[in-house]
Amino acid sequence: MDIGVLRRDGRTDPFFDGAAADRLVIKHCASCDHRLTPDAGDCPDCGTTELAWADASGAASLVTWTVTHGRPAADGTVPPPAFLALVELAEGPWLHARLDGVERAELREGLPLRAVFAHPDEGEPYMLFRPWTE
Amino acid sequence: MGDGTAIAGLGMTELGKVYGRSPRRLAADAVRLAAADAGLAPGELDGLIVSHGLGGSPGIELADALGMRDLRLLTQMNSFGATAGAMVAHAAMSVRSGAASAVACVFADAPLKPKQSSGAAYHRDAREWYGFGGMTAALGLRSVNSFYALAAQRHMARYGTTSEQLGAIAVATREWATRNPLAQMRDPITLEDHQNSRWVAEPLHLLDCCLVSNGAIAVIVTSAERARDLARPPVHLWGWGQGHPGLRKERGSEWGLTTGAVASGATAMKMAGVTPSDVTVCELYDCYTYTVLVSLEDYGFCAKGEGGAFAASGALGPGGSLPTNTGGGQLSAYYMWGMTPLSEAVIQARGDGGERQAPSNDVVLVSGNGGILDHHSTLIVSPHPKGA
Repeated sequence: MDIGVLRRDGRTDPFFDGAAADRLVIKHCASCDHRLTPDAGDCPDCGTTELAWADASGAASLVTWTVTHGRPAADGTVPPPAFLALVELAEGPWLHARLDGVERAELREGLPLRAVFAHPDEGEPYMLFRPWTE
Repeated sequence: MGDGTAIAGLGMTELGKVYGRSPRRLAADAVRLAAADAGLAPGELDGLIVSHGLGGSPGIELADALGMRDLRLLTQMNSFGATAGAMVAHAAMSVRSGAASAVACVFADAPLKPKQSSGAAYHRDAREWYGFGGMTAALGLRSVNSFYALAAQRHMARYGTTSEQLGAIAVATREWATRNPLAQMRDPITLEDHQNSRWVAEPLHLLDCCLVSNGAIAVIVTSAERARDLARPPVHLWGWGQGHPGLRKERGSEWGLTTGAVASGATAMKMAGVTPSDVTVCELYDCYTYTVLVSLEDYGFCAKGEGGAFAASGALGPGGSLPTNTGGGQLSAYYMWGMTPLSEAVIQARGDGGERQAPSNDVVLVSGNGGILDHHSTLIVSPHPKGA
């Protein structure tokens, strides 16, 4: 499946500023030290809307995954499958994500992953997760 | 029971590839059919609840289209696939309190377009996407199928659930559909057919996924006392419940493994005074085979993690110990959100199932599931008055 062109939305721009510099930036609630996804609007624990942006390590682990298959075209050709996932950041939040450089056989709950950033010619950078060994 | 409530009418338009009628027109037709089924004139209805839908679903202006006047209750409701149960419960409470006396609840949708795939109706597509929220879709998570696949895969990894066990649900459901003249898909299928059907989003094959249908279904809710004097046998409402677990997606979450059916089922069964072993027929929301499997576990028909083995045991099909989705469900009959299981529950409770009538219809459990396992509703219905 093709990856679409991404544009900024004015609300999550710091994520893309970080991505441009190959850094993963997420939201942080200073009052209860809760780490949240980049699009979180308020803290579900204390309710504050004053969330800060903070660097995340980029380390993650696989929660669950799917391999999606597009509909075959009229000539019978099938688009290449996409490996899509829920990943858990080391800081706690889960993100919907696309995996890169994985084989079906290695997919398992807890598989260590790391965020990497792609910089397409058109549009904003986007994030992928790759298997990672220290 | 002086305060009992019942479903007194059921109206169903043509369902499936029905083109050229707007959702509002379909909804109006279904309400008229439901009123006629109950033996009521449309003017005798004093309440109307309209479900949210996707393909330009009608709103409360439907009352004008129907020429309804002097209503005591008029609203639109939305908890996605859990809406049907929520509408019926709201109607029943309105009747019980005296706020209204005969309430139509209707769902209509027309997401299917001629010459377009069914999948396209529930698939987002665009060339450009916006912000971090748009990145998920830009990267490929664009269809409801993908999100349910993530949930099903998690259950498989945690409990050893297999694709063949999901396939057993598809096969049993189709077996029921072969006996239902209203079903869109009536050719029998085998487990091999299921396994050979193309991948949509692993671990979900095409035959793990529901149909998409155009059409409308309505029911009429009134007091049990009044229903006794109407045209059709009353379908008594014994209990109802909802569950919206609000599972956060973060470390420690049970997302994908458990759903709002736990709370919704417990609430409805407590109100009805029944336990899972009393339920004789299940009409479960089956947008995917996986939704059936996890609902069976969450309602307590089997232990958590054993839904796959339970389904593979043959319990769900004709002749099984827990006849489930006896009309062919959303997988094989028609996809009208929560009105699919509710309509079949009414048919079963009336004994109108013909070739597919379950051996005992004493206690029928109806589920609704909305969002990505985010919202749940339950109804318990019976041909018998509650407490009789």
